[in-house]
Amino acid sequence: MAFFEQHIHEAPKTFLSKYIFSFDHKVIGKQFLWYGIFFLGVGGIMALMIRWTLAFPGVAFPLIGKLMFPETGGVVPPDTYAMLFTMHGTIMIFYAITPILIGAFGNFLIPLMIGARDMVFPLLNMLSFWIAFVSAILLLAGLFTPLGAAAGGWTSYPTLSTLIGSPGVGQTLWAMAIFVLGVSSTMGAINYITTIIVLRAPGMGYFDMPLSVWGLGLTAILNAIFLPVLGAGVLLLIFDRVFGTTFFLAGAAATSGTGDPILFQHVFWIFGHPEVYILILPAWGIVSDLLSFFARKPAFGAKATALSMTSITILSTIVYGHHMFTTQMSPLLTQSFMTLTMTISIPSAIFFANWLGTIWKGSIRFHSPMLFSLGVVFVFGLGGLTGLYLGTVTTDLYLHDTYFVVGHFHYTMAASVLLGGFAACYFWMPKMFGTMMNEFWAKVHFWITMLGLNGIFMGMMIVGYAGMHRRLYNPFVYDFMQKMIPINTFITWSAIVMGLSQIIFVINFVHAVFFKKEKASDNPWEVGTLEWTIPSPAPNYNFKEIPVVKCGPHEFGNPNLTGSRDFQYQTEELA
Amino acid sequence: MVARTEIASVEGRKITSSIGMIFLLVSFSMLFATLLLGYAIYRVTADEWPPMGMQRVPLFLPTVSTFIIALSSLALWKFEEFFEQKKYENLLLPFIGTVVLGCAFMGVQFRLWSSMKDMGIFVEGGVFPSLMYSLTWIHAAHIVAGLISLLFLIPAMVSKNYDKYITTVSNVSKFWHFLGIVWLLMYVVMFVL
Repeated sequence: MAFFEQHIHEAPKTFLSKYIFSFDHKVIGKQFLWYGIFFLGVGGIMALMIRWTLAFPGVAFPLIGKLMFPETGGVVPPDTYAMLFTMHGTIMIFYAITPILIGAFGNFLIPLMIGARDMVFPLLNMLSFWIAFVSAILLLAGLFTPLGAAAGGWTSYPTLSTLIGSPGVGQTLWAMAIFVLGVSSTMGAINYITTIIVLRAPGMGYFDMPLSVWGLGLTAILNAIFLPVLGAGVLLLIFDRVFGTTFFLAGAAATSGTGDPILFQHVFWIFGHPEVYILILPAWGIVSDLLSFFARKPAFGAKATALSMTSITILSTIVYGHHMFTTQMSPLLTQSFMTLTMTISIPSAIFFANWLGTIWKGSIRFHSPMLFSLGVVFVFGLGGLTGLYLGTVTTDLYLHDTYFVVGHFHYTMAASVLLGGFAACYFWMPKMFGTMMNEFWAKVHFWITMLGLNGIFMGMMIVGYAGMHRRLYNPFVYDFMQKMIPINTFITWSAIVMGLSQIIFVINFVHAVFFKKEKASDNPWEVGTLEWTIPSPAPNYNFKEIPVVKCGPHEFGNPNLTGSRDFQYQTEELA
Repeated sequence: MVARTEIASVEGRKITSSIGMIFLLVSFSMLFATLLLGYAIYRVTADEWPPMGMQRVPLFLPTVSTFIIALSSLALWKFEEFFEQKKYENLLLPFIGTVVLGCAFMGVQFRLWSSMKDMGIFVEGGVFPSLMYSLTWIHAAHIVAGLISLLFLIPAMVSKNYDKYITTVSNVSKFWHFLGIVWLLMYVVMFVL
């Protein structure tokens, strides 16, 4: 097969073409990064409001409470509470994690790491960002409608999400926002897949790609296949709400010919289970790379890691039933879904062991990206193991819809992905913006975040195991929950501490982007992948000469290396 | 040294745009597959079909649409063939044929919807009308998008520039044929069976 080469684009000159409607994958990546960080803040404040309500029921939310809820004197009202957890989930999953990991780092890393000058469809790439922007406006508009935003949970199960459960416009806007965002993500996904297939630098086989690109590519495949499934689901939900169809309305259920609310759950989870892997796969890929880079060792079993990520991608499409064990599914089905779910532990165990194999006896450099990566190893281990209890029918029947579930998916989707995202931010900062973030404050940020999030999510698992139901406005009306008040208070304080520590990150980040004078060197981390062979920050054409790849991405400690260098550039050939 | 090709060359653009288009069509297929799967589930779990004493939609109009869209696909296929052979003078007839037949398909769909209304099948009337209307609506929306994309063939016809427009022609045809196949499946699943 021939290898393809792009022209060098001319540098854009006007403000609009440079920063707003840019075709450059690096600028689009940064746009997604700011977008994601903004929504991380919004979703985070919502999380704090939820936590405040659970720890101090009936107490006014500090600082902004009086402004936002004047009728109740600053206390979060029950209906607003439902909107808060719905919007928190939606924003964090679709508007914070997806843009940061897939939008920002997907865009930024794929062309740089495979030695291309840009994405293969730059116009599609730009449209993908601006459609995501429209979607964000639709979603936020819901907050300002008379009956408020969507309040049916991020899963928006009917009948909560039908006109009976939520009569306001907010829910319709939510569904439209998700549909539009799906369009945007599908466009991005098609771009990523095509780019990875056609624009790899000469000599770069699939197994010579860094594992980050593997993770992002597999994510893109899942996105392209399964987002349209959710699209169909929310489209029918919109029809139900706007045109009066009855897909998910089980009115007068005695006669046949009415809708079926459970069908939405099927459609949602056919998409929804791959979605959790859509979120975690990029983080896995990035962490697999970073562990090797900072342990100064070749990634242990890199091929096996890539293949086990691939098999997880395939398996993830046929396990969705484990989200629905309590919907009176036939036992035959529950058993099958349980078995398939358990099968995922095999590839997960393989790459987890490979992570440990990578750092085993490495000469580890504990820079901030490595700390965050090790954090991912820890929290993902915990999150993955607690998943076994939820994939098993017998334990899931008890744990379903408790805070144990909330703790579990926050460990996997929130904690792991957030730490992975921070690791990527700190690591690629010099290539993105040309400066390094302050290492001391990065470490402070890491330790507070790490302790905070373990306090939150471990606490959630404990109260969940004790029977605290998720989505209750005030669970303490039940007697048995009274004893859970202190631990809920502890969780909330952990959340507040962790939330405040993010200010450290924001200041560090903004300072490095806008105010820092001292420029970073071209290869501050001493790593051999293609993006470190070019100047920092990356020029608009990326590579003056398209590189020819000679070896894999994690070549460390080759005895033929000369000088003090222990790493090998991917463009170098050593005996 | 490895062989390298400019991505902007005809060969490069053909490969990239066909890979992109195929993945795009996979996405679209999943959308329609989900809808048809939903249809199948309602259909299989219902005691009787159509439920609530409603009547089946007569086959006549859907059959006409099927023929029309098949013919328009055929016309576009001829268009593509002529374009590939660079017989630009023959392009006009198949192009007009495709567009007219495409519009005729939409016309028949409108007839179908009004005939369903005459039969007393209204959107709000339960899951059977919901399915019949929504699925045909969603398909029709894609047909409208397809008709708009057919307009992109006009510059291809006028300029007679093979290298510049071959990817446009093949992408638009792929999309149009895809919509024909989807309609055929919908016809079999929703009207015949």
